[in-house]
Amino acid sequence: MHILSESVEALVEQLTKLPTIGRKTAQRLAAYILKMPREEVVEIARALVAVKDRVVYCSVCFNVTDTDPCPICRSPRRDHSVICVVEEPNDVLALERTNEYRGVYHVLGGVISPLDGVGPEDLHIRELVARLNPEATPPGGDGQVAEAGASYPDGPRPAVQEVILAMNPNVEGDTTAYYISQLLKPFGIRVSRIARGLPIGGDLEYADEATLSRALEGRMTL
Amino acid sequence: MILHHLRLTAFRAHAETQVSFAPKVNLVYGPNGAGKTNILEAIHYLCLSKSFLASQDGYALRRGAPYFELEGRFEGDRRSDLRVRLAYVPEQGKRILVNGAPLERLSEIVSMLPIVVFSPADHAITAEGPEERRRFLDNILSQARPVYLDDLLKYRRALRQRNELLSQYRGRPLRPEQEAALQSWEAELVLLGTRVIRRRLRFIDTFTRYLEDAYARFERVAEQPTMTYNGIAPLDLDADEEAIAEAFRRQLARVARRERERGRTLVGPHRDDLVFRLNGMEVRRYASQGQHRTFGMALKLAQCFYLHDRLEERPMLLLDDVFGHFDDERRAGFLDLLQSEAVGQSIITDTRLRPFAGVIPFDRPEHRAIPVGRGADRAIVSVETAVEPE
Repeated sequence: MHILSESVEALVEQLTKLPTIGRKTAQRLAAYILKMPREEVVEIARALVAVKDRVVYCSVCFNVTDTDPCPICRSPRRDHSVICVVEEPNDVLALERTNEYRGVYHVLGGVISPLDGVGPEDLHIRELVARLNPEATPPGGDGQVAEAGASYPDGPRPAVQEVILAMNPNVEGDTTAYYISQLLKPFGIRVSRIARGLPIGGDLEYADEATLSRALEGRMTL
Repeated sequence: MILHHLRLTAFRAHAETQVSFAPKVNLVYGPNGAGKTNILEAIHYLCLSKSFLASQDGYALRRGAPYFELEGRFEGDRRSDLRVRLAYVPEQGKRILVNGAPLERLSEIVSMLPIVVFSPADHAITAEGPEERRRFLDNILSQARPVYLDDLLKYRRALRQRNELLSQYRGRPLRPEQEAALQSWEAELVLLGTRVIRRRLRFIDTFTRYLEDAYARFERVAEQPTMTYNGIAPLDLDADEEAIAEAFRRQLARVARRERERGRTLVGPHRDDLVFRLNGMEVRRYASQGQHRTFGMALKLAQCFYLHDRLEERPMLLLDDVFGHFDDERRAGFLDLLQSEAVGQSIITDTRLRPFAGVIPFDRPEHRAIPVGRGADRAIVSVETAVEPE
């Protein structure tokens, strides 16, 4: 191919490094960027660099954040006695969109999968256990059990009462959930697994048979 | 279920072929190498997302073609028309569209379009290793119950994961978290394997009756066919999940040391077997060639009636070159059955028209004889019109 501009070609090449972006899409994006006002392009470039420079992982829950601990872990309005364990930061976003969950999170950073070379020690499982262990000191806290109305972030957090395992409902997610549930047994706290079944708003006739069968198996008495 | 129309593009011998079928008996006849079996294979692809020959998708691609595509227009007994398209592109894999909408998972197609294949390779089910019998079992159960296929695929995934871990840990002492990880995979394996075994046991309980009926259709000598599940442990056919899981865990504990040495899972539904017997004698060891053949045909016919009852849909029968081994009486009996209301549409391949022409009235609209020629580049010469018998 005859290259008109090496700069454009370089941009196209960089863009194709992103997932779901093929060469054609990259060329379209590059052409669009070429037409954009310089300030807007600078904003995009700044945002890209800022993501790498400023974003860190929360030292409590391992979600992505600009401030450590993250706003959720610092919030006195969240229920710190309930921890929802998820695979990736995106899962936190999904659960936050429900506006239903008021507890806090713990991001594992993946699931146990020997075929992908991922073992328990590669995930933030030890840190989860540390959050449940009364001996472990929360950031800035002194390790004592909090009384009602304690103020965060500097005060101690209440003891964890429940851990919700919200990994994806596949073989790896289920196995990771089992691994964690076994690990948490000695703590004597409530450990639950999110339900599986039909998507709300989806018609029964469009659900695939396996999902529908599972939903039937897990039916509830009214 | 009826297949009305089939199109093959760049599929094996076929550059571009269109075939229309009649609702009952169809005979695709012509010389060897003309691409008759390819037509049945294409139908199998559309119904179950894969070939019935143990063959990779890439081999089905016509030489030099960038992709192959198959399309079938089906009419169900119970449901409305289904237009199924399957495309295979090397490196990208397969994609299935049903009435224009892509399926998220290929396995969703299984059980929509029930089919039963009769082929000379059926001999292997009774004569060869356990793998053939598991394939037979899994094929029926997957078509009859989508949730079985889901469990089976998940079981295989958990098995691969556990085997990977066992091979990584092979012969080495384990740290506590490694021990715990191994136990977690064992728990998942037992959970999924138990479901697979339970459905297999229930299936055998039901299927035995179908097998007896089907066998009696082929053999006038009163021989009693039976089947038993030779699995992780002797289990009742109505064993509950806890009993099966307990037996599975016990067996895993028994072989634990050997599994750690060998680095893979040594017991479970992936190693189980079915045992067929005639009057108490194991078919695999003692049956004659004729008995193997009869037993194989009976298994497939029983599969047809079982799927019909279970899905309330008559499966399509694909008969690949199986009539050559029949004597005249058996052939006539089987062809009568194919014309009866007991079975649905059937598609037969054979090199000759003559043995069928006298028995099946191809001049009637419900039957059709479809000649296949060996063209320079095209496999099928004439397809659109019904052919008068010789």
